[in-house]
Amino acid sequence: MSVLQPPAGPRTTEGPVPFLSRLHEWVATTDHKKLGVMYVTSGIIFLIIAGLEATMMRWQLAWPGQDVVGPEEFNRLFTMHGTTMVFFVGMPVLLGSANFLIPLMIGARDLAFPRLNAFGFWLFLFGGLLLYFSYFGGQGLYGMGSAPDVGWFAYAPLTERTFSRGHSTDYWILGIFVAGIGSTATGINMIATILGMRCRGMSLMKMPLFVWIMLVDCFLIVIALPPLAAAQILLLFDRQLGAHFFDAQAGGSALLWQNLFWFFGHPEVYILILPAFAFVSEIIPVFSRKVIFGYPLMVAATVAIGFISLGVWVHHMFAVGLSPLINVIFMGSTMLVGVPTGIKMFNWVATMVGGRIRLQTPMLFSLGFLCQFLLGGLTGIFLATVPFDWQVSDSYFVVGHFHYVLFGGLLFAILAAIYYWFPKVTGRMMSERIGTWQFWLLIIGFNLTFGPMHVSGMLGMPRRIYTYQLDRGWELWNLLSSIGVIFQLLAFALLVWNLLRSVFKGREAGDDPWDAWTLEWSTTSPPPAYNFDEEPVVHSRRPLWDLKHPDDPDWRYE
Amino acid sequence: MNDTHQHDQTEVIELPQPTASPMVCAFGFALMAAGIVTNWIVAIAGSIIMLVGATAWFMNSNPHSREIEASPEKKPRPIEPRTGVVDHLIEDSSHRARLPLEIHPYSAGITGGLIGGIAMALCAVLWGWFAHGSMWYTVNLLAGTMLTGYADMSMAELYAFHTEGLIVGLVIQAFMSIAVGLLYGVTLPLIPRGQIMVSAIIIPLIWSGLTWASISVVNPALAEHIEWFWFICSQIVFGVVTGWWIVRTEKISTMQNWHYLERLGMETPGVRDMGGES
Ligand SMILES: [Cu+2]
Repeated sequence: MSVLQPPAGPRTTEGPVPFLSRLHEWVATTDHKKLGVMYVTSGIIFLIIAGLEATMMRWQLAWPGQDVVGPEEFNRLFTMHGTTMVFFVGMPVLLGSANFLIPLMIGARDLAFPRLNAFGFWLFLFGGLLLYFSYFGGQGLYGMGSAPDVGWFAYAPLTERTFSRGHSTDYWILGIFVAGIGSTATGINMIATILGMRCRGMSLMKMPLFVWIMLVDCFLIVIALPPLAAAQILLLFDRQLGAHFFDAQAGGSALLWQNLFWFFGHPEVYILILPAFAFVSEIIPVFSRKVIFGYPLMVAATVAIGFISLGVWVHHMFAVGLSPLINVIFMGSTMLVGVPTGIKMFNWVATMVGGRIRLQTPMLFSLGFLCQFLLGGLTGIFLATVPFDWQVSDSYFVVGHFHYVLFGGLLFAILAAIYYWFPKVTGRMMSERIGTWQFWLLIIGFNLTFGPMHVSGMLGMPRRIYTYQLDRGWELWNLLSSIGVIFQLLAFALLVWNLLRSVFKGREAGDDPWDAWTLEWSTTSPPPAYNFDEEPVVHSRRPLWDLKHPDDPDWRYE
Repeated sequence: MNDTHQHDQTEVIELPQPTASPMVCAFGFALMAAGIVTNWIVAIAGSIIMLVGATAWFMNSNPHSREIEASPEKKPRPIEPRTGVVDHLIEDSSHRARLPLEIHPYSAGITGGLIGGIAMALCAVLWGWFAHGSMWYTVNLLAGTMLTGYADMSMAELYAFHTEGLIVGLVIQAFMSIAVGLLYGVTLPLIPRGQIMVSAIIIPLIWSGLTWASISVVNPALAEHIEWFWFICSQIVFGVVTGWWIVRTEKISTMQNWHYLERLGMETPGVRDMGGES
């Protein structure tokens, strides 16, 4: 290995950079900002793929007896949709935004382990490609290819070799396993960065809430992902080496998979939703022109959510037939999560009360998040109640519920974040007009699709069926759900158009277009490779406020 | 300009040297995994690639992390301080003000709710008297929320006086009025403008909507006989009276500016000067 020193600054060369060296610049980068951009971009591409998969499903279910896709293909669609959305949309967007923003927010030049960071990203990307390669290689050399069809939680023993022939399930295991190692590595990297690389003056209680929430989030990643990897290796042993961990007929346990999977699966829900909290906790104060209400309580609530979410996983197993005592215990712990979450909701609202609210796109999407996440949280409390869960378990009510949390909640917050930080990432503004159109189309489309699902679920429609009969009374609700998809497709087309257009033609943003208060807005847009000329020194939670208003700095009050 | 240039020369910013080794390593690892479901040759190739990547990675970071000198880029614009543009709700406070600064006393909510509840009940009973010729009719309908048998009563029975109906009806009305009144009392100070509008029209309409959606489950007797126009009117009467009562009470300031010892209720002469108003 010769000590070759390639040109360092990407934007210093005059004239157009040749494509190959541009590509090399991205492939060989260890810059947290470039990796963050690659994470989020691939997340958006996977989002479009998984969204199209969902569109196929809604087309098939639009009215009874449709024949758009067959039952086997339908099983593949919902499996790939769920798996992609959770592991290859939610995870990369959260890791990508943490990557891009955390070093900037804490005044550092990069993550603690920049090369490990690159390793994590590439593992994620190759894991995702491996999963989608299953469409070609799922059945090995035996015949036509096919993707996994076992649902995103892949219940054993249905995933055992006996019931799931071919290689599709192996691809599900391996793709997620590879990506999961990357996520765990990046989680550790983030924790090390946050705990060890903050600039002078930034004590833990002076970190932006985004950083606090991501810290808790990364702890959850590090705790929750290894049990999943373990379960997947056990399943791989069963399938490839003839072990019997989940083979009930040979003394294995079917419950073992459910316990291991959901011990990962529920914290995963919080791993996904905490970043949404992180985004809106930064956006709402800036667009209300007020300091966040109850910062210490927000931190405490985040930590509490982190702890409690590790102890609620059995609520996914109420219908299994465990003892009433266990059910009641986990019903209680699940309801308990509502307390810190409620505290957060109240604090966001209290931040807005009396503020000078600016209804620009980041704020619009944040408000969408607040309303829809609230609804998803409320149906979550219904579902936490054991008898109610028994009635609607595995029905479309559940599908409606978690889409209100993850789509109405997480995705709206992600969109808020895209509109908010896009100027920092690219140096250009996104179009407010297209953004507003997108917001309203998505509000209509989202609620039209997922609202009626609560009704069809109450009317007894099970999830994951590929078609239904005419006489069940589900026709109207399914048709409404499918019509909603049209609005959503329009909205996402607008988003893609807005992103592409703004990258090249957007208005110049300047360093600080929103008049914000955290450190990332103190450097240029896009930031230089080294982030800051000099290491910043902070005195309060809103360092830029202090600089902008020297007559009324925050540190006087904190 | 001159001194920034000098500054650049004195301080060198070092960044990790770009390297494809993590990507190569990850690619090898993914191939190893893929080998399990394709062919062992793929796995072998993957392990070789991974080894190459790992070696390059090791060389890149040992014995010292290889760094390159960052070439300077555009500088951020200096932040311009703006003075005198911040509104202060409380001068000389030890903290940023939390809204609302002043609230109506909780007692105003309770009494307002009770008075509104009485006004609403009067209207409802009068309506029952004029429209149906029985002042017990509405009382019985309300009591149907808790007394399940009332769903099957005939009209004549609903017109008649029932002691338990009166008691239950009174309890429900009192409880709901106090609870809703209290909510009014807490919420209204948070609304910057048009408090009467909110209390008299908006909240009664939302409440009526909630009732409309849930009444067949909550109170089948009422669901069968309810006349929505008059129901909404009675809600509005409650909203007007309760809102009016609460808004006209004198506001008190919250304790946010008090000293901690004061909030504990301790007699501490002189403490007021430490941050509170005197
Ligand atoms: Cu859960």
